[in-house]
Amino acid sequence: MEWEKQLHQLADRLNYIKDIFPGKHAEDISELENGLAAARERFPDCAAAEVQAGLAALEDLFFRTECRLEDKLTPMDKVRIVRHPQRVCLRDILENVYDNYTEIGGQGEHTNDPAMVIARAYITRKRNGDVYHQPVLVIGHEKGHGEEFRNGGSAKPWGNAKAKHYMGVAETEGIPIHAYVFTPGGYPLEDYPGAAQQIAKNIYEMAGLTVPLIAVFSEGGSGGAEAISLADRRLMLSHGYYSVISPEGAAAIEGRLRGGARASADLVERCARDLHLTAEDNLKFGYVDKIIQEPVLGARPYHYEFFRTVRQEVLRATDEVVLKARGLAPLRAAMLRRLRDRELNLDEFFVSWKLSRAARQRLVEMRQNKFIKASYGEVRNTRSVMGRLGDAWSEQWWEIYNRLIYDLYQRNRRTFGNVVEEVRSEWEMFKIRVLKPWNKLRGKTEEVAVTSEEELTTLSDWDENSRSGWNWVSKKAREDRAVSCPYSAQRGCMDMWAPDLYDEFAGVCSTCGHHFPMEYQWVMNNCFDEGSLYEFNTEVEAGNPLNFPDFDAKIADAKQKTGLKSGCITFEARIDGVQCVVAILVGSFRGGSVGVAEGSKFVAAADRARRKRYPFIVYCHGTAGIRIQEGTHGVIQMPRCTVAVRRYIEAGGLYLVLYDTKSYGGPVASFLGCAFYQFAIRSSDIGFAGPGVIKNTTGIDIAPDHHNCYKALSRGHIQGVWDRRDVRVNLRQALETMGGRNLYYR
Amino acid sequence: MRDIAEVLEALKAEPYTEKEVCAPHSGVITFTDIAEGAKVHGFTGMWKEIPGTHIATITREKNPRKVLANERGVMQKVYRELDGTFVESGTPLGVIRHYLTRQEVVSRLLKESLYAFCAPERAKYYFTPDIDTKVKMLGCRTVTIHDGMELFIVSRMKREVPLCYSGPTGIIYDVYFDQQKNVDAGAPLIVVCPPDQQSAVEDVVARVQSEWVEGE
Amino acid sequence: MNRKHKVLIANRGEIAVRIMQACKKLGLEFVSVYTAEDVSSGHVALARELGGEKSLYRISSYHDANELLCIADEAGATAVHPGYGFFAEDFRFARRVTERERSLVFIGPSWRVIRDLGDKINTKRLARSIGVPTVPGSDRPIYDELEAEKVARTLFEYQLQQGIARPLVLVKASAGGGGMGIEEVYDIDTFRQVYRRIRNYAMRQFKDEGVLIEQRVTDFNHLEVQVLSDRSGRNPVHFGTRNCSIQSTGRQKRLEVAPGFDPSSIEYGFDAAAVLDEITQHSLNMARKVGYDSVGTWEWIVTRDGHPFLMEVNTRIQVENGVSAAISRVKGQEVDLIAEQIRTGLGDALGYTQDDITFHGVGVEYRIIAEDPDSGFAPWVGDIDRFQWEERDWCRLHTHVPSASPEKPYTIPTEFDPNLALGIIWGRDLAEVSANGLDFLEHLVLEGHNGKGEPLKSNVEFLKKKTERMLRF
Repeated sequence: MEWEKQLHQLADRLNYIKDIFPGKHAEDISELENGLAAARERFPDCAAAEVQAGLAALEDLFFRTECRLEDKLTPMDKVRIVRHPQRVCLRDILENVYDNYTEIGGQGEHTNDPAMVIARAYITRKRNGDVYHQPVLVIGHEKGHGEEFRNGGSAKPWGNAKAKHYMGVAETEGIPIHAYVFTPGGYPLEDYPGAAQQIAKNIYEMAGLTVPLIAVFSEGGSGGAEAISLADRRLMLSHGYYSVISPEGAAAIEGRLRGGARASADLVERCARDLHLTAEDNLKFGYVDKIIQEPVLGARPYHYEFFRTVRQEVLRATDEVVLKARGLAPLRAAMLRRLRDRELNLDEFFVSWKLSRAARQRLVEMRQNKFIKASYGEVRNTRSVMGRLGDAWSEQWWEIYNRLIYDLYQRNRRTFGNVVEEVRSEWEMFKIRVLKPWNKLRGKTEEVAVTSEEELTTLSDWDENSRSGWNWVSKKAREDRAVSCPYSAQRGCMDMWAPDLYDEFAGVCSTCGHHFPMEYQWVMNNCFDEGSLYEFNTEVEAGNPLNFPDFDAKIADAKQKTGLKSGCITFEARIDGVQCVVAILVGSFRGGSVGVAEGSKFVAAADRARRKRYPFIVYCHGTAGIRIQEGTHGVIQMPRCTVAVRRYIEAGGLYLVLYDTKSYGGPVASFLGCAFYQFAIRSSDIGFAGPGVIKNTTGIDIAPDHHNCYKALSRGHIQGVWDRRDVRVNLRQALETMGGRNLYYR
Repeated sequence: MRDIAEVLEALKAEPYTEKEVCAPHSGVITFTDIAEGAKVHGFTGMWKEIPGTHIATITREKNPRKVLANERGVMQKVYRELDGTFVESGTPLGVIRHYLTRQEVVSRLLKESLYAFCAPERAKYYFTPDIDTKVKMLGCRTVTIHDGMELFIVSRMKREVPLCYSGPTGIIYDVYFDQQKNVDAGAPLIVVCPPDQQSAVEDVVARVQSEWVEGE
Repeated sequence: MNRKHKVLIANRGEIAVRIMQACKKLGLEFVSVYTAEDVSSGHVALARELGGEKSLYRISSYHDANELLCIADEAGATAVHPGYGFFAEDFRFARRVTERERSLVFIGPSWRVIRDLGDKINTKRLARSIGVPTVPGSDRPIYDELEAEKVARTLFEYQLQQGIARPLVLVKASAGGGGMGIEEVYDIDTFRQVYRRIRNYAMRQFKDEGVLIEQRVTDFNHLEVQVLSDRSGRNPVHFGTRNCSIQSTGRQKRLEVAPGFDPSSIEYGFDAAAVLDEITQHSLNMARKVGYDSVGTWEWIVTRDGHPFLMEVNTRIQVENGVSAAISRVKGQEVDLIAEQIRTGLGDALGYTQDDITFHGVGVEYRIIAEDPDSGFAPWVGDIDRFQWEERDWCRLHTHVPSASPEKPYTIPTEFDPNLALGIIWGRDLAEVSANGLDFLEHLVLEGHNGKGEPLKSNVEFLKKKTERMLRF
C-alpha cells in the first residue's frame, strides 16, 4: 500500500538521522520514533483521508525536526554525513547533472581501480533555439554507496595514474575537466607508481594543464583529494569536508595513541572542530571559491533539485574560467557580469569553451598565481617594511640583470666571444713587442727542464686539501661512549666509539654501512663550500593559524629546542664555486612537518632560484608530512609548492631533492615527489604513509624495510642512493650532468 | 643407528632442552623484573622483526644492550645474584627450558636414524655457492647429492678449501650447521636420505605429528 | 717510571707471553685477556701464574675495542699494550685509548704518528721532504691522463738509463690497498689502457680517481731498521738492521736475520756496510722529523746493485724484535725491546745514546708454524702431542704453546694463524749461527695429529732448507 511505502521511506530518514547523530539529540529522535510507531499502529484501521492527513503531519514533523537538527550540525556530524552510504556519489552526479555520459576504462569492478572513475560526458545548452553539446571530461572518486570494492573512494596509485593519463587526453582534445573529490585519502601502497609519487606527478601535471579544471569537493581527504583538485575553480558542497587528516587520525595523534587504540568520541569531535574542515571554514580561508548549498542534512540521491544546482554551478564555474582566460574584452566582461546573476538559467546561455593558445597560457598562469597566493595572508613574517622594500628591489634587479646577462648576452655570445678573442690576441702581441728589450736586458733564459730523475724521486707540489676532516661535527661526537649498530645481530657489526662514529665516520657504521641519523647541520655545513652560506627569509615564523588548542606552546617549544623559527631553512650556497639555492626541511622541528611558514619559504626559495638562475636543491632531512594542526592551511602547501616547482623547472632550472632519515606524507606526495631528480642518503626511509598508518588503513603487515631507500629505488620512486660521505661529490656531479637550459653556469 | 621408537621414548622422558642464556660480551648486568618460571619467546613475526623477551641489560662503555631470549620456553633459572655486577663475556645469566616442537623432534630423530655426514675437523662450513642458492631458494630437500660430489667449503684461519661428500646417494634431509659458527670435528653437518628410505622417514614424521604433544 | 701502572695486554699468544714477562721484569702489574677459543693457550696459564688479582678476563673477541676498554676499566688498568696485529697500528684505537674520559697510556706511538705513517702516500712524501730515497715515481695521486702518461714515460726512460733491461711500471689506485687495483705495465703503449682501467676501478671502488705510478722494483732484499725512542721523540736510537727476505709464497716472513747484510762473510756487488749505514741514518732522520716516540721499524728494499728505497714504516713492535735484541747490548747488558717499549712508553727517558749500543755476532729467528710448505703454506689444524727443544745458551725460544703430551694434547685454535713458536739463535758469525740453527731445528721435537689421524705438518724442513740462503741475493 502507498502509505506503507511512505512510512518505510520515513523510517529510512529516521535511520539516517540516527546514523548521523549517534548518541545525540535523543529527544528529537524518540519523538520521531514515537510518531512513526503511532502511525504504524493507527494507519491500518484508518480511512484513506485520515491516513493522508496523518502522513502529512508526520512528514511535517520530520521536516521541522530535520531543519532544527541542521542548525545544530557539528563538524563531526558533517563528516558522518559525508561518509554515509546514502550520500550522493559520483554515479548519481553523472546520471543527473550531465545529459549523457560514457564511463571510460571501467565497468563496475572491472577496472584497474574502481575507486577512480573517468567518464566523458556532455551538457546540452540552448541559445535562441540552437542546441550545443558541450563535452567535458569527468574525473572523480566513486564511493558507490558503500560498495566494498570501491574502497570508500580511496584511490590506488594506478587509479591516480589513470586520472593523470586522461587529464592529458582532455588537454589534447581541448575540453574542460570536472573533477569530483569524494575521497577519504589516497590508498597507501608503495607499489609502482607509488601512492606518494603518483599524487605528486598528478599535482605537477595539473599545475601546467592547459584546459579549464573545475573541482567539486564533497570529501576532501588530504593527499588523495589533491591528486585531482588543483583546479581553476574549487566548489564545495555545503555539507562536505576538506581536511588534512581524518578527525580520528588527528585524535590518535593528539591523544598520543599507539597501535590501533581508539580515541574517545569526545576527542574526535573536538579535533573535527579544531581542524576547521567545513565548507564555510575553507571558503573563509580561500581554499574553495564557492559553496554549493545542499538540502537539509546533506544531499542524497533523491534530491533532484540539488543536482540542478550542481549543474548550474559547474556550468557557471566553467564559463567564468573560460571567459577570464580569454581576457577581459568589454563584451566578455559583460558576459561575466551576467553570469553573476543568480537567476540566470545557464542551460539557456551559451559560452564556447574553446581557448586560443594565448588564452590557454593565461589560464595556466592564472591558476598558478591563484595557488601561489593561497595562504599568503597566514604567513607570519616579522621582517621590517624597509627590509621588504629592499627585497622587492633586489628581486627586480636580479630579474633585469639576468635578462641582460642570459637572454641578451648568451644569445649573442658567439659574436661577442669573437671580438674578445681578437682583442686578447692583439694585446698579447703588443705585450711581447713592448717587453722584448726588457727581457733581453734581464737575460732571462728559458727554464731548464728538470731532469727525469729529479722529477721521479723528489717531492712534488701537491695541494692536499681533501684529507682534512669535516667542517661540522655533531655534538654527539663529544660523548665518550660506545654505540651499537641496529643491525649488529644480523651483520656482525662491532660497537663503535661515538667520537669516531659521529665525527670521522660521518655517522656510517664502519662494518655494514648503515647510516645513523645525523643532524641537518651535517649536510648543511659539510657539503657546501665553507663560508658560502647566506640564509634568507629568516624572519618567517611558524605559527598557529587555526589557533589549534595547546599548539602555541608546542610550536614555541620546537622553536626553543631547535633555535629555528620554522621547519624550513633556505639559503644560498656554493658547491665548488657553483652557486645554488638550497632549502632544508628540518626533521627535528615538529617532525619536519610542513605548514604555511615552511611552504612560503619554499616557494620564495624556488622563486629566488628561478630569478637568479641557480640550481635549486632541497635537502629533506626528514618530514612526517603536512602539519595537521594547521589543517587545510597545511594541505594547500602541496599544490602551492608544486606550482612553484613547476614554474621553476619550466623556466629551465635544476630541481634536485635529497632525502635523509624518514620522509613521509604530503611533501613527498607533492613538491618533493614531483622532482625529476630525487636521491636518498643510505638507510633513509621514503614513503606515503608510515607502517602504523598502513596497518590501520589497509590491514596489511609490512616488512621492517618496506620503506627503505633501496626498496624505493627498486620501485622506481627515486633515482639513486648516495653515501652520506659522498653527498658533496655527488651533488657536484649532479650539477654538472643534470638539469635544464637556464642554469647560469652552463 | 638406533631404533626410532627407542629414541622417541627417550625424548618423551625429557621433552625439552635447557639452554643457558650467556652474556654476549663483558659489562655490568642489570636484570629486568623477569621471574623464574616466566614464559619467554624468541624473535617472532613474519620477518622475525619482533624481538624476543627482554631478560637483562648489559652495559659496556656506557652503551646499554638488551639481552633477549632467543627461544620460546620457560625461564628456568635467573642468576639474580649477578644483578648489578660486572660479568665476563660468556657468563651464564639464566637458563631457558625449551620444549621441543614437532619439527625439532623429527629433526632429532632423523639425526639418529639417517646417514649423517660429519665434520672432519673443527671449522666453519658453507655449502658451495650453487648448492647454497638452491638450499636457500627451494629448501634443502630438493638437493640430491652423491658420493664424491663437491658439497662444502671449509673455512678456517681465513683460508677456504673444498670438501667432498662421501656416503650414500640421496637428498639432503636436514642441515645442522650455522655458517657463522665453528662446527666441532665429528658433529653432523647434514643428514642424507637415500630414496629407498624415504617412506620410512615419512613414517617417522607422521608418527611424531600424531604422538608428540608440544609442551609450553 | 711510575711502578703503579697496570698494563692491559690487548693481545694473545707469544706476544702476550712476552709482554707479561716484560711487565714482571719491570715490576708492573698487568691484565690479560683471552677468548673461549684460547682457553688452553700458554698465555692464559702464564697470566694465572704471574698475575695478581684481576689480571685475567675472558672476552668475546680480541678485535673488539669496547671489550678491551671495558676490561681495562674493570681491572683498573692504566696503560694498554697492543702487541702486534689486532690494534697495534690502529690510530683510532690509540686515539680512543688516550682521549676517552678515563684515559689510558697507549704503549706505542702517539695516534697522530700512527695515522701519518700509516698512510703510504704521506710516508713517501715525508721521506722525500727530507731526502730519504723512495721508489721512483709519483708521490701523490695523479688525476690527469696526460700527466700520468708523462710520468710513466719518464719512468721507462729512467729505468733504461739505469741499465734495467726489462723496465716495469706499477699503476695502482692511490686510495686502494691490500693488493687490489694494482697492475704492472711492460711498455708505454699499453700504459694508457691499464691506466684507464685502474682509474675507473678506483672511481667505482673508492670514489677517488687518483692513481699512483711507480717503478716496479724486482730482485731485492727486504731490510728493516729497528728504531726506539722515548716520549720526547727527540733522541731516537736504532738497534741495527734485519734481513727479512726469506718469506712464504704469500709474502709472509718466515726467517729473519740480524744484521741485514754480512759483508764479512759474503761478497756483495756493492758496499753493503755503507748501505746499512745509509738506511739506519735515513731512518733515524725521519724518526726525528716526525717526533717518533716508541718502537718502530723502517722497512726498506735494497736492490741487487745496492740502491735502497724506503717502503713503509711499521709503527709497532714487530714479531722479529727478538733477533735485533739478540745481537745488541746496551752498555754491555742484554736488552729486551718489549720491556724498553713499555718503560719508555710509560714516560721513562731512554737513558742511553746510540754510542751505548753495541752489536755482536749474527742472530736468526725461525718462525715455527704448523703449515704445509708443499701446498702453498696452507695452515694445518689439529692437536700437538709433543713439543720439545733443547736448552742451549745460544738459543732462546718464545712460545705460547703449553707443554703437551699425547695424553694432554694442545689443540691449535682455528681462529688465528697457526704460529707456534719463535726460535732465536745466536752465533759469533754467519757460519756459526747457521750451524747452531740447523742444530736447533734438528733437535726440535714437534709431533701431533689431526682429526683424520694424519701427522702434524710444519715448516721446520723449509726453515732448514732456507738456512743456507740467509743474507744472500
